[in-house]
Amino acid sequence: MSSLTKIPAGVQYFFDDEVKLRRHVERRAMEAFAGWSYDEIILPMFDYHDLFARGMGEEKAERTYRFVDRDGALLALRPELTSLVARTVATRFIKRERPVRLCYSGEVFRYDEPTERAAREFHQLGVEHIGEPDIVADIEALLVAAEVLTALGLGGFRIALSHVDFFNGVADFLKLDSGRRAQLRELIDCRNSLAVEEFLRTHAARVEESRRADFSRLIQIAGKQDVIGRAREILINERSRAAVDHLDKIYSTLTSLGLGENFDVDLGDAGGLEYYTGLTFKVYMPDCGAEIGGGGRYDNLIANFGEPEPAVGFSIALDGLVSAISLGPEAQRWQSANDARAISLNGDPARAFGQAREMRKQGKQVKISAK
Amino acid sequence: MQDDALALFARAGVIVAESELNSRKLVINSTDGRYSFVLVKPGDVPTYVQYGVADAGVCGRDVLMESRADVHEPLDLKFGRCKIAVAGKREVLGEDYNLLATVRVGTKYPRIATDYFHAKGVPIEVIALTGSVELAPLLGLSDRIVDLVETGQTLKENGLEVIDVITESTARLIVNRASFHLKRIEVGALIAKLTEALNQ
Repeated sequence: MSSLTKIPAGVQYFFDDEVKLRRHVERRAMEAFAGWSYDEIILPMFDYHDLFARGMGEEKAERTYRFVDRDGALLALRPELTSLVARTVATRFIKRERPVRLCYSGEVFRYDEPTERAAREFHQLGVEHIGEPDIVADIEALLVAAEVLTALGLGGFRIALSHVDFFNGVADFLKLDSGRRAQLRELIDCRNSLAVEEFLRTHAARVEESRRADFSRLIQIAGKQDVIGRAREILINERSRAAVDHLDKIYSTLTSLGLGENFDVDLGDAGGLEYYTGLTFKVYMPDCGAEIGGGGRYDNLIANFGEPEPAVGFSIALDGLVSAISLGPEAQRWQSANDARAISLNGDPARAFGQAREMRKQGKQVKISAK
Repeated sequence: MQDDALALFARAGVIVAESELNSRKLVINSTDGRYSFVLVKPGDVPTYVQYGVADAGVCGRDVLMESRADVHEPLDLKFGRCKIAVAGKREVLGEDYNLLATVRVGTKYPRIATDYFHAKGVPIEVIALTGSVELAPLLGLSDRIVDLVETGQTLKENGLEVIDVITESTARLIVNRASFHLKRIEVGALIAKLTEALNQ
């Protein structure tokens, strides 16, 4: 195969209506972010590999595209944007008033296993809210996410709320070592309630059987207020109870704002715990097989680059939003309307271009025709 | 596996008419019209579910492990029980793989085989096959095979034996991650019905 026609795995080209739709989605999202006073930050395409390893963890940083600087330092194409924002805030924004609200729109690059989603460049839209430890920042982040989706006509979205301390509290209470923790987390992540019950029979023998069975069912299916109520009856340890209280406060506020239908409480989401320290959430859309975005609180990340600071943020995949819109009723609107006025040269370029310039001054679209 | 799955679904009250099954349609409906079934090759089940084309699926744990699909796995359906095992002629190598620089492994499960041997620090050359895997050690194509073993009869008849069991496999209910949230009431009801049928 000719090396001129071959393309590297994972690269993407966009054209025609898809470009218009992507730009529209980006603009709408950035408008919503700006409306909540998030200032846009433009971040570098690459940075030291170490930065990302500290940010997202060694294991995930393994999936970056890496290369060396002239001085031999290891660089990486950015696999995510939060670490870059976090370092900027911890260093260059040190004297600014808190909270700092920043938003971004940009591609990230990750090498994924071939079986995973094929694209290796992704365009992310997101916000980071730094310096506010209170629950109000959590709620604000969720409302901003909800507004982006609603503004794009994606009212059918579902955001599943979870909290890392729900799992951590249980694991601590059962005094699980790191291997057993990972095992329980995996079983919960599979939503395999029978296997969880079996696991608890061995490792939580001192807890009464009915409570173990209830817990196994609790993690299986997400829900609304009912999940919070059941969790309160089942949980004994303080850490998990506090997590559930936190989710309750968030969910009640969202319900009172009329958003209850769009949010679920999901105590079976135990993934991504290394990075997050509190609320976590995932964004789902009908007919998109996987989540299209997510976020949460990460109060420990910024300490890697300076003083510890509380922070919460999220990102949504532009590609996810675009495919959700393409599947929805709004898709038709993105068939291109060709409003261009054709201007024929007719052997007199000066006249034709003069006419074209005149029309451009009026803001009209022109198309020069050589015929 | 399909027959076992349909029998379990029938016990759970999700019934597919005989006439539908005998037709050549690849998408068939339950008699009450509430469920659609998509008939695909076992290895494709995780793909259909991961991409959300099907909300849920039934497949063996072996297939799931090999595909590494990112799906929920809420129920062990208990049928289709078998082992994924390393087999070969014991006298050839025993369990001391260090006698060889690289062990050649014939298998339909390249990932499971690689993970198993690499975890032991043994370099392998995967020889990817799609059927009659037992032939490979007989003809000297490979030193070992990694394959499903139900009774071990085929192995025995070909002069092979199980050297080590990697894992047990049974049929699993798998569910798409997004469907789990967007259709949680329906998914929850299905899981509850199947759980009840399993406990009968």
